[in-house]
Amino acid sequence: MTTVPQTHLERRYAALGLLLIAPTVLVFCVVIVYPLISAVYLSLFSIFTPTLQGEWVGLSNYQALLSTGEFWTSLGNNVIWTVGTLVLQIVFGVAMALVLHENLWFRALARSLILFPYFVSTVVAVLVWKWLFNDLYGILNHLMIVAGLIEFPLDHLGSMPNAMISVIIVGAWKYFPFVVIAVLARLQTIPEQLYEAARIDGAGPFARFWDITLPQLREVLVVIVLLRAIWDFKEFDLIFLLTGGGPIIGTQTLPLLVYKEAFALNRMGMAAAYAVVMMALMLAFMLIYIRQTRRRES
Amino acid sequence: MRFVRRIFFNLAAWAVVLAVAFPLFWMIVTSVKPQFELFRRPPTFLPDTFTLEHYARLLIDTAFLVYFKNSVILATTTTVIVVAIATLGAYSLVRFRYRGRENLAFLVLFTYLLPSVVLLLPLYLMLVRVGLSNTIASLVVAYTTFALPYALWLLRSFMAGIPEDLESAALVDGASRLGAFWDVILPQLLPGIISTALFTFILSWNEYLYALVLVNSDSARPLTTGVVNMLVSAFNIEWSLLMAASVMMSVPLIVVFAFLQSYLTRGFGAGAVKG
Amino acid sequence: MAEVVLSRVRRDFGAVTAVHDLNLAIAEGEFVSLLGPSGCGKTTTLRMLAGLEFPTGGEIRIGGRVVNDVPPAKRDIAMVFQSYALYPHLSVADNIAYPLKKRGVPRAERRPKVERTAELLQLTPLLDRKPRQLSGGQQQRVALGRALVRDPKVFLLDEPLSNLDAKLRIHMRAELVELHQRLGRTMVYVTHDQLEAMTMSDRIAIIDQGRLQQFAPPQEVYHAPANRFVAGFIGTPGMNLIEGTLSQEGGAWCFTAPGLRIAVGQLTDDAQAGPATLGLRPEDVTVGAGPVSGIVRVVEQSGHENIIIVEIAGNERLTLRIPASILPRTGDTVALAPDATHAHVFAAGEAGQRLNTATARPRPQTL
Ligand SMILES: Nc1ncnc2c1ncn2[C@@H]1O[C@H](COP(=O)(O)OP(=O)(O)OP(=O)(O)O)[C@@H](O)[C@H]1O
Ligand SMILES: [Mg+2]
Repeated sequence: MTTVPQTHLERRYAALGLLLIAPTVLVFCVVIVYPLISAVYLSLFSIFTPTLQGEWVGLSNYQALLSTGEFWTSLGNNVIWTVGTLVLQIVFGVAMALVLHENLWFRALARSLILFPYFVSTVVAVLVWKWLFNDLYGILNHLMIVAGLIEFPLDHLGSMPNAMISVIIVGAWKYFPFVVIAVLARLQTIPEQLYEAARIDGAGPFARFWDITLPQLREVLVVIVLLRAIWDFKEFDLIFLLTGGGPIIGTQTLPLLVYKEAFALNRMGMAAAYAVVMMALMLAFMLIYIRQTRRRES
Repeated sequence: MRFVRRIFFNLAAWAVVLAVAFPLFWMIVTSVKPQFELFRRPPTFLPDTFTLEHYARLLIDTAFLVYFKNSVILATTTTVIVVAIATLGAYSLVRFRYRGRENLAFLVLFTYLLPSVVLLLPLYLMLVRVGLSNTIASLVVAYTTFALPYALWLLRSFMAGIPEDLESAALVDGASRLGAFWDVILPQLLPGIISTALFTFILSWNEYLYALVLVNSDSARPLTTGVVNMLVSAFNIEWSLLMAASVMMSVPLIVVFAFLQSYLTRGFGAGAVKG
Repeated sequence: MAEVVLSRVRRDFGAVTAVHDLNLAIAEGEFVSLLGPSGCGKTTTLRMLAGLEFPTGGEIRIGGRVVNDVPPAKRDIAMVFQSYALYPHLSVADNIAYPLKKRGVPRAERRPKVERTAELLQLTPLLDRKPRQLSGGQQQRVALGRALVRDPKVFLLDEPLSNLDAKLRIHMRAELVELHQRLGRTMVYVTHDQLEAMTMSDRIAIIDQGRLQQFAPPQEVYHAPANRFVAGFIGTPGMNLIEGTLSQEGGAWCFTAPGLRIAVGQLTDDAQAGPATLGLRPEDVTVGAGPVSGIVRVVEQSGHENIIIVEIAGNERLTLRIPASILPRTGDTVALAPDATHAHVFAAGEAGQRLNTATARPRPQTL
């Protein structure tokens, strides 16, 4: 709804506005828009990474990609990882938010402890979990044996499906605080009268959750699910550091495949093709999220 | 009855909270245990012997301090540049009218969601070509790709929360647009700027993928790839040393958590979820 | 020279037109109120005068100079915002001093000016506080202070008294009027409180849905409303508006409605026989004897007078203001006598124009 500037003063303000946004636009063009376009361009070449020399191959990278099993396996892994970790994050995150919304002893401390994994570096998180997962001296195996859950130490990261489960759990641990904070913020805005009215009508705690809390959380949950789905889908650090995609390619997702093609197999053009396809897959979610935000703003 | 239920609820809730926090607790415990105690069965939950030898070794025998210094320079530079550009940009996006303004705002949101692996390869080629590879500067450029959209989106939402009449009043009282920005908007935006700066700093401090690809020499390596490098280059993995490194690496974060946590929560509300 | 002239000023917000080709010539030193219901475009008009909003069309002149391209800082105006817009990070004293500072008044000269303004507005004990430590009314006075501390050509005031309690409001009303007389500055005062507009203004501009309805002194607005909207908007209780038929009998105009027949005196050339609206102020009908009869439905006593609602033929209800000495009971049948010399006639329809020639009541004589 931008009206065309008419007065001289209005035009001068518009010019100042453009001047202020100019650094942003400049940086965007150089480090985002240009690379984004050249990513698509690169994917039409066959490039040897160490020399960066290459030749035009047209769409054959894409042809090759769709016909290799590795792409489909990685995509499958990507979906399993995203759905698995997302479900855990949401369920655990909402539950934790409900708990922290109650009058817990030392609530502020509990909140800080819950929040910490989200802000800690993925490198730190992975190192710690690798130590916990250690097959010989890891505390996890020890505790599980003591508890009688297993008889012999488990190989958490080196065999399937353990590796995928471990990755999903660590992902959930690291990212569920995002859900907690977002849901908690929303919970605090639900008017108390709603609950009082329901209590007068004789609704028990579960009925109150289903009939009041959940509908109130619906909108924010949609936003969270979209955001987290997008972020989890493109996750690289956590999986790469934890398993490197292994065993073999058991936990290899698309971002890891891109990295492997480019820097282990030295096929930069092919890697670009993988990256472009991956983005195309994510585009739907990104556009839905943007449309949602747009609607909420207007 | 109510009282018993309350106690039970608190105990159960705290058990879960502590379970979530356990890995971090374990990290600290491991870092102050002597090497031999790590392999004792059953493991000791609190160290029998308390030692800081791993921290000493980390600081003296390894390149940890170089990495740490690199990370500080990297994260600080990125934060300063990004927040400066984003503050002006957000002011422009929220308070000025010109063609294409709204589409630009949603381009920002789009880039905020963009996966880094897509930009990684072209950026790598670009930085190699201009001769920036293996420098901290190359990482600053790369980090801008995710930090700037993020900071812009966050600051835009903070800016939108400042009543327009404040700026109008300053204009009527005799200020120019930029004068009003300096006198009135900037002081109001300060909590938002702090919050954004903290987020940007943490994001840059924790980044791994770009650092892995773009920097291949110890002199420019930041903490994330540096510490992982220590892991893979050693003959046998020294867990205590790694845990000490992990703790040290989290120091800035612990400082933020202890003193500035409200800014983090505020940033959450403004950028990540609401908009 | 600080007359303010708007010529065909228009402001669109996308599909919404907030201000419609507004023509308004405010004389130097005049106190003018912009009065109208919420959302009618008062604030938008004021913001355009201040240079904060840009007219989509038309021309604004202040002191003879076209200011469409002049930034707010250079228009030499002061404005009080509806939302106060106090600078939260500055103390009350610094808030009031800010306009002086921006215009290069040296620190030493600022102090006494701020103190004088604070005294006028009873803000002296609050000078060191931050805005958030003040009540709504106190904040509003600080906002007023920030405008009054300077001596600009034009004051723009957007509902500056809306948040004060009744006593303080009456006090500030008098202060503002006195200030206006002393400074002799042009003041444009936005309000939706007609009592404020009536008591303070030299002239009132009544706006509805972005269109100017009437621009006249308070007495004229009251006694000769330009159209049906103004007639219904001004006055509490509002004017009784009765739908009926206008006819001409032997050169004299006559208005008929069920149970009612009035000779309405001289009308303009626009008047036509046919449907029309009759307007009667609640005080322009006497109760006791008369040609119209009705049943009392509601009686409200307010001490010095009584307000009653009477139902006449055709389910028409009239609100009447009568002396406290007359106290009918609900259900009573009463006889009414409308005062024909004070009857207003409007053309048919919502936007019906006034058809009377003379003002219904002579202007008060100046002494
Ligand atoms: N920035 C804007 N964008 C779109 N519409 C606007 C904008 N500002 C005002 N309007 C519309 O213009 C009309 C006039 O608004 P304005 O604020 O001038 O009303 P007002 O007379 O001051 O009302 P009030 O007495 O409630 O303050 C309203 O319908 C409003 O919705
Ligand atoms: Mg208004």
